[in-house]
Amino acid sequence: MAKTKLPDKRRPSPKELLELANKEKLGKLKVFLGAAPGVGKTYAMLSAARAQKAEGVDVVVGVVETHGRSETAALLDGIEVLPRTSLTYRGRDLMEFDVEAAIARKSKLILIDEFAHTNAPGALHTKRYQDVEEILRAGIDVWTTLNIQHLESLTDVVERITGITVRETVPDKVVEQADEIVVVDLPPDELIQRLKEGKVYLPENARQAIDQFFRPGNLTALRELALRRTTDRVDEKMRMHLRQNAIQGAWPTAERLLVCVGSGEQAERVVRTASRMAAALKSPWVALRLQTAEESGASRSSRRRTEKALRLAERLGADTVRVSGKDLVGEILRYASQNNITQIVIGRSRGKRLRGVFGRSLSEVLTANAKDIAVTVVAPLREERVERRFRLPELSTSIKALATSAIAVATAVAAGVGLSYVTPLPNVSLLFLLAVLTCAIRFGIASAISASLLSFLAYNFFFIEPVYTFTVTQPYELVALFVFLLVSIVTAGIAGRLHEQADLIAQRAAATQSLYDFSRKLSAAAKLDDVLWLLAHHVAQSAKGTSVILLRDGDDLVIKSSWPPEDTLPTPDWAAARWAFKNELPAGRFTTTMPNARFNFRPLGSPGAPRGVVGVEPKDAAQTLPPLIEAELQALTDQGSVALERTALVEQSAKANAAVESERLRNALLSSLSHDLRTPLSSIIGSVTSLRALGEKISKDDQADLLATIEDEAGRLTRFVSNLLDMTRLEAGALDIRRDWVDAADAARCAVSRAQKVFADFPMELKIGSKLPLIRGDASLLEQVLFNLLDNARKYAGQESSAVVEVVQAGDEIVLSVTDQGPGIPADALELVFSKFYRVDHGDGRAAGTGLGLSICRGVIAAMGGSIIAESPVRDGKGTRVAVRLPVSIQPENPSRQSRTETP
Amino acid sequence: MTRHRILVVDDEPQIHRFLRPSLSAAGYEVFVAHTGREALKSAATASPDAIVLDLGLPDMDGKAVIAELRGWTTVPILVLSARDREAEKIAALDMGANDYINKPFGIGELLARLRATLRHVDRTSSISTELRVGGVVMDIPAHSVTCRGILVHITPKEFELLGMLLRNAGRVVTHRQLLTSVWGPGHSDDLQYLRVFIGQLRQKIEADPDRPRIIMTEPGIGYRVVEDDALSDV
Repeated sequence: MAKTKLPDKRRPSPKELLELANKEKLGKLKVFLGAAPGVGKTYAMLSAARAQKAEGVDVVVGVVETHGRSETAALLDGIEVLPRTSLTYRGRDLMEFDVEAAIARKSKLILIDEFAHTNAPGALHTKRYQDVEEILRAGIDVWTTLNIQHLESLTDVVERITGITVRETVPDKVVEQADEIVVVDLPPDELIQRLKEGKVYLPENARQAIDQFFRPGNLTALRELALRRTTDRVDEKMRMHLRQNAIQGAWPTAERLLVCVGSGEQAERVVRTASRMAAALKSPWVALRLQTAEESGASRSSRRRTEKALRLAERLGADTVRVSGKDLVGEILRYASQNNITQIVIGRSRGKRLRGVFGRSLSEVLTANAKDIAVTVVAPLREERVERRFRLPELSTSIKALATSAIAVATAVAAGVGLSYVTPLPNVSLLFLLAVLTCAIRFGIASAISASLLSFLAYNFFFIEPVYTFTVTQPYELVALFVFLLVSIVTAGIAGRLHEQADLIAQRAAATQSLYDFSRKLSAAAKLDDVLWLLAHHVAQSAKGTSVILLRDGDDLVIKSSWPPEDTLPTPDWAAARWAFKNELPAGRFTTTMPNARFNFRPLGSPGAPRGVVGVEPKDAAQTLPPLIEAELQALTDQGSVALERTALVEQSAKANAAVESERLRNALLSSLSHDLRTPLSSIIGSVTSLRALGEKISKDDQADLLATIEDEAGRLTRFVSNLLDMTRLEAGALDIRRDWVDAADAARCAVSRAQKVFADFPMELKIGSKLPLIRGDASLLEQVLFNLLDNARKYAGQESSAVVEVVQAGDEIVLSVTDQGPGIPADALELVFSKFYRVDHGDGRAAGTGLGLSICRGVIAAMGGSIIAESPVRDGKGTRVAVRLPVSIQPENPSRQSRTETP
Repeated sequence: MTRHRILVVDDEPQIHRFLRPSLSAAGYEVFVAHTGREALKSAATASPDAIVLDLGLPDMDGKAVIAELRGWTTVPILVLSARDREAEKIAALDMGANDYINKPFGIGELLARLRATLRHVDRTSSISTELRVGGVVMDIPAHSVTCRGILVHITPKEFELLGMLLRNAGRVVTHRQLLTSVWGPGHSDDLQYLRVFIGQLRQKIEADPDRPRIIMTEPGIGYRVVEDDALSDV
């Protein structure tokens, strides 16, 4: 069975292949790694670059610091050096590397010295490695240099070895993603020799620290670190290669590491240790945030410390998970077993609270309860034991606490003195306890503690014999006094914590309420503007500041909404907003990209399809956003993004519906044209060819009928074509409608007589009211309308039916109506019949018309200022009446003189 | 000879108005139906020799009429349809219609199609060993084809394909019908076979393969072998 190995261990996983594929699109990063300054990294990089250049590779220098070394400067000769951009910061001009110029230059390879460099304020990113990342994303290869002490996870090790705190750090993840690492090695003795010969550049102000630094012991240790790091990496690269090519090798069993992040002082150190262990094990690792129920009331500083440690873990490549509950050990072990964790790293806690319950610290309990899991306990450093739990609160807070407690205690004294005149008061201490509790509940723990101390003194001074002195004569009074102090401090502590918890819960409730409100309103918002306004409003509200929303418009962003209303942004903010949009990452304030912008921008929309950014500027100028607000903003942004997507989809579907509708109309038009043109043509062609081909074989009567068919059908075709043309002209606005004086009765007479000629078999009756006034309009078009109505009546009512044409005056309108005795129009189709290409389906297949007649009528009548409607049934559930109403204008003074009134 | 009885089904009175005298003059006895139901009733009671059917009927789909007719009769059906309704025509043909004619049409074309359809019925009822169209003679027992008197070398698949077309001379045969009968039902969508084999057949039997006179393409529908007497005796 020794041979059984899981097949998927040998094959590359999809994730690994995907990583490889992504990498191929990016530029390649090569890091020249050294143990210390002066080992010759820049020299090595430039020499290698010259070799590339000689091979014809397009190499440019982004940043190279020669530090006045002539041999290094000589290597620069013949390589293009990109100009730097100058930034003015506090009156000084600083030359910085220009990322955008470097991307625009689009060389094959760019050299960027000092990977760990921190950019001047005002630059695009805070750190140079971020510049490098952006250049890599643009597909340009980068070579850079780095000293081992700048690696984030090693800073504490380096500090322990050398005693120097390294401030410029590069996250391990960034270096791990480098495609190649070249170690530039120099034995410590030679380095010190070079230092003595003055070949190593050292800044004046750091000389002393650096002298300390360049000791053989330090250098040896750093050299070992650099070499070991590189060996680890080579190992990793080898494994990747083997796996990607499905070469079977000796894979280590899958280790998974879990680090517990608490609020202790050593949280960050524990995280670093775990990171190093994970790197050595080549295992994924998870940072678990521990949060007990009572810890939610923990002090702000400890919460901040926890968040900082978590963020460090994230930077070092860990996944972060939050776990909360009463039984922390149980929760940790449950998570560990569910996620196949093999090792747990935990700091040795003081375990104060747990000690109260179990008598043991968290790490001890964990070690005792863990089964099949290795637990590594990181011991605290000595100085970390120094517990500065009750660090002095800020001045304003302490003054406020003191003032409130003084007032409370003074009130208690006054009440006690006052009451003692009324009745003897043996338990006056209860009054002071009341004051302490009031302070605790109203003003928090600091005020409560100060109130207990003040009460202790005041109680002694005012009420314990001898009064008005701090002396206590009776021993039992002394005991009472101290018991009081103890009770009041404990009460203050409990009540104060309760107060803080209540505050926190209130804050959370407010945040939840705000989110709930937001999502409720958002679900009701149908239009984009509503969504944007809601988002802007809520973001501003939750950050207690201002907000702005920019959406994509063509190639650029435009301000779409803001709270309070604002339509301009400072230039740095535009840059930050554009960067956030382009890279789909947060930028601006509180981030490391353009941190001097006023707003903090985060992308809106779904990944890969950003729609814009939302910017937020809190009122108080804090260094970071409080985690609670940060979380709330994230939730708001996410919900807003979803709502934006939704409105976009709604718009899209409306467009699609419109397209479907127009497609339907187009099809209706086509089928109508096809049918209405083809049927008469069929009859005509059929009749003509019959007459020609069969000629004499057809009887005289039939021949005459065929000829009549041809005539009738040609007439039908003509009407259809002229309707079609009218419609086209009407739609194009080209139908010429005259505004003459028209006698409606005359128009009706003409229409009936024309229709009678064409539809000889269809009886029509004409009823004309007396003394009809003239109307303004187009006589020939009005006649055409009535003709169309008669045509319809015949078509839909059937030849056996008949039609009545009526012209009467009703108020200040002339009503022309055509009524038939046909089956009528269904109520729901009464309006539809006026739309283009609509035909009432009578199901008998008779006389399907063009579906154009009525819509032309409506167009013409509307152009004359009138209206046309259909009514059905007219009588006994049968018949249709189509009525045209035209307004009667002020009559011409002497109609007989108006020559133009005559109908043509 | 007895007069063939033709049932004309169309909802447009104008069509009847010219078809009735024309078909009568051409020697047919004409029955009329305006709806699908009427058509089904007439087909059952009047026992027509052929049906001319418009696919656009008011009460039911023309294809449904064909489906019902084919449930109990093999009477030839000639479909009237618009040129732009390929899918409808193919469906009608696959459901058992014998041929189609595009609207608007000349009477000569209609009469030719009617004759071809009716003759096909006569031909299938007798056993023939020889098929001849446009100078092409196909001897079925001998498995040989001569074109204008010259023996043509022909592969078995080509023979089958040509046989299918010649047996239906004057009528359209759909791609699907050709493919399923020659290559089998598994190949009903392999149009490229047809393109190749029809091309080869034309090379062998057409005087000018680029301007075929015998095997005509019905775009989007199928192929039709044109008869010698297409319009000659109208």
